[in-house]
Amino acid sequence: MRSLIQAFSLLLFSAFFVLATYGLPDWIPADLYLRLDPLLGLNAVLAAREVIGRALWSLITLGATLVVGRFFCAYVCPMGATIDFLDLLFFRKKKRSPLKKEGSLRKVKYVLLIVFIACALVGFSLVYWMDPIALLTRIYTFVFYPLAVSLINLFLDLLRPFFRVLGWVSLSHLHLMEPAFYMATITLLILAGVIALNRLAPRFWCRYLCPLGALLSLVSPLGLFRRKVSERCNECHQCARNCPMGAILENPRETAHPECIQCRTCRRVCPEEAVSFPPSLPAGGEYSSVDLSRRGFFYSLAGGLTFGLVASKTPFKPLEGKHQLIRPPGALPESEFLRTCIRCGECMKSCLTNTLQPSLWESGLAGLWTPRLNLRLGPCEQNCNLCGRVCPTQAIRSLSLEEKNHAKIGTAVIKKEVCLVWAQNKLCLICDEICPYNAIVFRPLEGYRRPVVIASKCNGCGFCEQRCPVKGESAIVIVPNGEIRLKDGSYIKEAKRLQLEFKPDPGDDKFILDESGFEVEEGKKESEPPPSPKGFLPN
Amino acid sequence: MKTAAVATALGLTGEPSFSQAKEEYDLAVISGEPIAATKKALEVMGGLSRFVKKGARVLLKPNMSFATPPERASTTHPLVVATVAQACIDAGAQQVLVVDHTLHRPELCLERTGIREACKPIKGCHVLSVQERKFFKETKVPQGKVLDRVEVVKEVLEGYVLINLPVAKSHSTTGVSLGLKGLMGLILDRESFHSQYNINEAIADLATVIKPHLTVLDATRALASGGPGGPGDVKKPNLVIAGVDPVAVDAYGVSVVPWYGQHVKARQVEHLLIAHKRGIGKIDIDDLKILREKA
Repeated sequence: MRSLIQAFSLLLFSAFFVLATYGLPDWIPADLYLRLDPLLGLNAVLAAREVIGRALWSLITLGATLVVGRFFCAYVCPMGATIDFLDLLFFRKKKRSPLKKEGSLRKVKYVLLIVFIACALVGFSLVYWMDPIALLTRIYTFVFYPLAVSLINLFLDLLRPFFRVLGWVSLSHLHLMEPAFYMATITLLILAGVIALNRLAPRFWCRYLCPLGALLSLVSPLGLFRRKVSERCNECHQCARNCPMGAILENPRETAHPECIQCRTCRRVCPEEAVSFPPSLPAGGEYSSVDLSRRGFFYSLAGGLTFGLVASKTPFKPLEGKHQLIRPPGALPESEFLRTCIRCGECMKSCLTNTLQPSLWESGLAGLWTPRLNLRLGPCEQNCNLCGRVCPTQAIRSLSLEEKNHAKIGTAVIKKEVCLVWAQNKLCLICDEICPYNAIVFRPLEGYRRPVVIASKCNGCGFCEQRCPVKGESAIVIVPNGEIRLKDGSYIKEAKRLQLEFKPDPGDDKFILDESGFEVEEGKKESEPPPSPKGFLPN
Repeated sequence: MKTAAVATALGLTGEPSFSQAKEEYDLAVISGEPIAATKKALEVMGGLSRFVKKGARVLLKPNMSFATPPERASTTHPLVVATVAQACIDAGAQQVLVVDHTLHRPELCLERTGIREACKPIKGCHVLSVQERKFFKETKVPQGKVLDRVEVVKEVLEGYVLINLPVAKSHSTTGVSLGLKGLMGLILDRESFHSQYNINEAIADLATVIKPHLTVLDATRALASGGPGGPGDVKKPNLVIAGVDPVAVDAYGVSVVPWYGQHVKARQVEHLLIAHKRGIGKIDIDDLKILREKA
């Protein structure tokens, strides 16, 4: 029964993950699991210092934990399910002896929880390192998703000859776009680490490390359902041996309630049927089993605060206002963005053009794994607003398409020293051709038609940067200059106020009509008959 | 796009009855609404059965390279595509592939151009975008001036009947983008045409290896400036132009609207002039037999 619910939950998580792509219906909250995570919610609210609507969903989880206990870990958590599943696969037959420093290991998760919250208090978001839902979403995005797509394509390639023979045209021409991400292998190693730790103890991660588990275990002793052992117990210790959380103590009649995830394995394995989980009113004094001394608490708090403060006193902090990365349209102002983003990777998963990539060290520790656009890889598509729609903390605001297209992310700049037209007088018009906003025009300069960018029409979508035929770095690049980052309010209004216009309109072709051919002979302008438009031979 | 309306309209096609004029005209220039004008143009060209035999496999090449709606005129009108596709099926084609190597994201292009939806009700018709090398095959260009070899969509080399369905639009590099320029949507590496070769020579080279059996130019709207992607000045000539000679169809296409505000002659379009000089087709439309009619 539990395995079924758990498998269903993992399936649901995966389904939402898969659905987070172009064509996502408005009514599906693809980021549901991330919204339900109270640790992410708490962290984002503390770090951003304001209430985040979507984070309120996590009150459901907190409320349910208050009523039922720490059921989340056994029934809902997709990370728990993944760990259980892979544990079954790799370590089912391995004998695992009890760990020596059990007691102190258990404290680690509380220490981590306090450190993360302390960091959030000083505005430094760190929880993404270990929050299980954010971590798993990231693992799905950077590891499972590209892996699955390439396997499907491999499969399709193998069967293609049969499809052709059978005349299944659509299948024989099917090829899924293969996503590619930086940090994929690092993420894979982290997953491997989490799973490998299971060799030492089942659910090692959940027992000793998971900060979300720690948060829920603080609430859980108030729950209604708790393990009870009847007189029939003959102390065979079957339950203690099988408990995946190691929550049954020396005396099998006693339970470490904060560690109990209500999986009810003990009830199932008890030969005497002595174990039950009856609803009962919570008794006090349960917190004593959360064995973190006052000293430990203060040390962790002080450590977390220190770390958070020191980590935000690097040059990256003062440079946030002059940051170099192109952020997704609708991203909050840089400092708020860094605090609010939980690095789940959902935006990068949903990105239609694969342009959204995780940052490495470009904006320091505070910017690790945050989404940035790699416009050489792909442009930001005007018909897509998914990154904001799936962002669980709204570090990227959910915007309508029109609003999103007014959320200018940067401005194109032509690098004259490498541009084929500027540097080599070659006939190349690709940036102009592809620009959806007619923000690039050709003007007769220095005897030739040269491309120039009209900054007030460029919203930084990056089609030009992606398409530029120059090898290596593009001869036209998007820089963050001119980006619009708003905490609230309308981007359309802001763009109007700044006298920007991103409306696709018939454009600036009158300049093209000024001269004939590509080469311009200076001084001859006035006397000549009306020249042919660009691209045509003279009459 | 109202799928139902398309289906009903297409259902009325039946067998083309106009057969006396078979092969009589070089060009059919029909004015009217997309469906009616397309049907009439096909009729004037002798009916599709002239090109599509029973059991034939057909490759339709519309322009659906941009994820833009039909009113932007940077892509072929979905009703023109659907009408031709239905006519192919009616002529007994066993399979109709609607194919383009798109510039924008394929799923977006198929969706926003309205072509996938318009073709949905037509059984045996598949709208596809091909982007990957595995769907292309290299072929030699024996008469090539700048191209030595080129990778083209496999089906082109596999005996499919090729019907080119370009849209009439301006093009910032080649002046206009009509049928011949549209054939670039059947090759893998379009970028090199811009960066590596003289694009006008390359287009003419390509026309020596990819030879459409029929070209139906959609000039129901024409993007008179801002091409190929737009946005730009969209004119409404309400014309469908059909012909076997790809250069002649394009040459007529040049005359239908002023491009960038100016009337230009077909001989001013470099790739057409080169193609004409190489004997791929006729550029002087005054010498052609043209049927101009209202649908």
